[in-house]
Amino acid sequence: MSLNTSLSIAVQALDAATGALQATNNNIANANTPGYSRQVVILQEAAPTHDGNLSQGNGVVLEGYQSVRDELVQSRIQQETQAQSGANAQLASMQQIQPAFTTSTQDIGTQMSALFASLSSLSTNPGSAASRQGVITTGQNLAAAFNSVSSTLTTQQTNLNSQVTQDVGQINQLTSQIAALNPQLAQLKATGQDGGTLQDQQNQLVLNLSALTSVSVTKTSDGGITLSTGNGTPMVVGSESLALQTSTGANGMTQVLDSNGANVTASLNSGDLGGTIQTRDQTIPGLLNQLDTLANQFGTAFNAAQKTGFDQNGKAGQNFFTLPATVAGSAATISMAISNPALIAASSDGTSGSNGNLANLSAVQTTALAAGQTPGSAYASLVFQVGSLTSNANAESTATSASLLQLNDQLSSVSGVSIDQESTNLITYQQAYEAAARVVTTIQAMFQITMSMGTAAAE
Amino acid sequence: MVPDMQYAMQQSQQALSTALQQVSTGLRVNQPSDDPAATANMVASLAASASVDQYTKNVSSVLPQMQTADSAISSIVTSLSTAVTLGTSGANGTNSAADNAALAGQLQSVLSSVISQANTAYQGSYVFGGTASSTPPFVAASETYTSAEGSTAPPLTATLPLTAGSVTTISDASTGKTFTFTVTAGETISNLSAAVAGAAAAGTLSAGTTATINATGQLQIGTNSGTSGVVVSSNDPALGAMTATPGTSVANAYAYVGNSGVNTVQVGDSMNVGTNLPGGQMLTSGPNVIASLNTLIKALQGGTTAQIGAATTAISAGLNYVGQQRVPLDNTMSQLSSQESYLGQETLTLTTQQTSLVGINLAVAATNLSQAELSNSAVLAAAAKVLPQTLLDYLK
Repeated sequence: MSLNTSLSIAVQALDAATGALQATNNNIANANTPGYSRQVVILQEAAPTHDGNLSQGNGVVLEGYQSVRDELVQSRIQQETQAQSGANAQLASMQQIQPAFTTSTQDIGTQMSALFASLSSLSTNPGSAASRQGVITTGQNLAAAFNSVSSTLTTQQTNLNSQVTQDVGQINQLTSQIAALNPQLAQLKATGQDGGTLQDQQNQLVLNLSALTSVSVTKTSDGGITLSTGNGTPMVVGSESLALQTSTGANGMTQVLDSNGANVTASLNSGDLGGTIQTRDQTIPGLLNQLDTLANQFGTAFNAAQKTGFDQNGKAGQNFFTLPATVAGSAATISMAISNPALIAASSDGTSGSNGNLANLSAVQTTALAAGQTPGSAYASLVFQVGSLTSNANAESTATSASLLQLNDQLSSVSGVSIDQESTNLITYQQAYEAAARVVTTIQAMFQITMSMGTAAAE
Repeated sequence: MVPDMQYAMQQSQQALSTALQQVSTGLRVNQPSDDPAATANMVASLAASASVDQYTKNVSSVLPQMQTADSAISSIVTSLSTAVTLGTSGANGTNSAADNAALAGQLQSVLSSVISQANTAYQGSYVFGGTASSTPPFVAASETYTSAEGSTAPPLTATLPLTAGSVTTISDASTGKTFTFTVTAGETISNLSAAVAGAAAAGTLSAGTTATINATGQLQIGTNSGTSGVVVSSNDPALGAMTATPGTSVANAYAYVGNSGVNTVQVGDSMNVGTNLPGGQMLTSGPNVIASLNTLIKALQGGTTAQIGAATTAISAGLNYVGQQRVPLDNTMSQLSSQESYLGQETLTLTTQQTSLVGINLAVAATNLSQAELSNSAVLAAAAKVLPQTLLDYLK
């Protein structure tokens, strides 16, 4: 072995140490970068030189860098993110809806009690103009309470509807970015290199996509990925992204279509888009339907009771509430049919002093409506549902964040950058560099000794 | 490490704010999602509370009305006792005609006092009028009433069709009863006349009461005798309003024009009380006290001792009857008083129920708060200790 060979081994060692320092440096720099996977340097022994029976080592070779990943945990994180975003979308909506059903001075339950209290008050003095006005006012308040809750629900529905368009726009942007990375990754794979930073970027984009919708990821043999929605609608194939589209459906709500124009709205069930669509198309319409039914049946029962009696002028009672022809929209449009206090049909015998029919009006409170429950119970069960929907969404959101936290811990123990570990590496590689440099100095000295052999200086 | 710490801090801060909210509001359930089942029960409980509140108010507003009625009855009883005393002294057989005339004069003022008490109003509604409480229930009677229609051409005829569904009411002062004629389609004035004749024969109206068309073509309904009177009303446009024929008023005769309707007011989930006592039931349709007073006055003005005695006995019987009628009213009043205290208790029960549903014991809330504070500061202290530590600290 010559001194030259030794020198070149030392230089390789210097290169390797620099390369390793480079990886450490990059890791430290990206310690807080979302989606970054820790890189390790791949060092390999150089092929030995055979000289007769002697086999001599030729130092170290810097093969490249590799990102440390755990694909399984990563895909679990994607799934959990979908569930969490879905739950969060529902929770956010329910938190907006919930105050309308919270006991206050103007919620439907309180106003309903107030109406019946005013009727009862009128029964003690059926001729009193003030008591009669009280019934009109509480009736108006109850109608307004129905209108207001219905409007809260529909406003929320409209907001969610515009969220759908926004989500679809973001999804399309993400899928096109993901698709653009596919050929670059394929190129790296073809040259035998690790995906590295590009792979990290793509993973992060897929994670962002998971927050928006249900997505299923398939690795392709060329190093890229194929993406499809939960029900198999393709979104990314090779370098091509298939954009989702939107259109306005028959009910005025935005529908999501795949690239072929097929309606996939109903199959989107997780992620922010899934949660939004579920709340918009199922939760809110369900609540609205019950509210409409309650308003309609209550108003109908009240009108019927009003018609069995006589008003202050001895005329047969007329409708108290104005209701639309259909159940749908009843809560939104219920209003008072009468504003003249004299038209309250308190009398059962036509005389203005009779309060006999007020008992029929009051009986609406304790009589089951067509749906099978008294108005109070029907409202209470509506409140229960709102509370329970909110509380369930909250529980699911909490559970998924705990689970996500654990998964992220797991991933970070594999792929995350540990400053302690990197500091240790830094010292290790620094020492390696120092040692290699010392070898170079030593060899240089040896060269000098060799060069001055036989001269005066050597003596 | 950092996300874990952040999560722990977030959780403990949330617990802290929940505990703080519970202490400041005194409520464990502030929104439906805090406890959906308790919130739903709360809706029912609040409705029950509202009902109980209203029942309590009903008791408060019904009681003074009943007290007004009760004190009016009390005055009537006193007046009737006076009448019995006056009648008894008139029947002793030793009084001169002038003495009895003076007694008759006193009795007249007793009668007007009874009528005035019987027409007592509470907040504008006449307490003894049944449900027809917007006008005085006891009205001075006249021999005849005349229709407004027919006074100008064309005159009414017996074959004139009446308006279907309209009602003509004749209240008789002597019998103390009321005859009501409701027109069915196709009926004419002659049907009305026949019905009145039938009622007179049956004793609902005084004998001799008729409904005839007079010389000017108006319908005239009345007793046609100087001793008994009626009050007539009609809402039939074919007849027009019925008014007392001028100059036919019968002295000391009063007819009951109220009805027998009783208003009930709910003062408990399953407790309704009748709040009024129809005056007809009390003073005319049983023993006709008003007519008896009239009879006694006439007897004192020129009747025999036996007639005076008989009229006094009749008033005496009426006095007992009024006393009996008063009993249910008094019972209801004492029922209301006990219901009032029951409702007070019920309010307390419901409030307790509501507190246990959504409220939180202050001691528990305060303990929760200090625990949350403690755990929050522990988390923060731990974070402060753990987070800054890296190997780099030791490499300096």
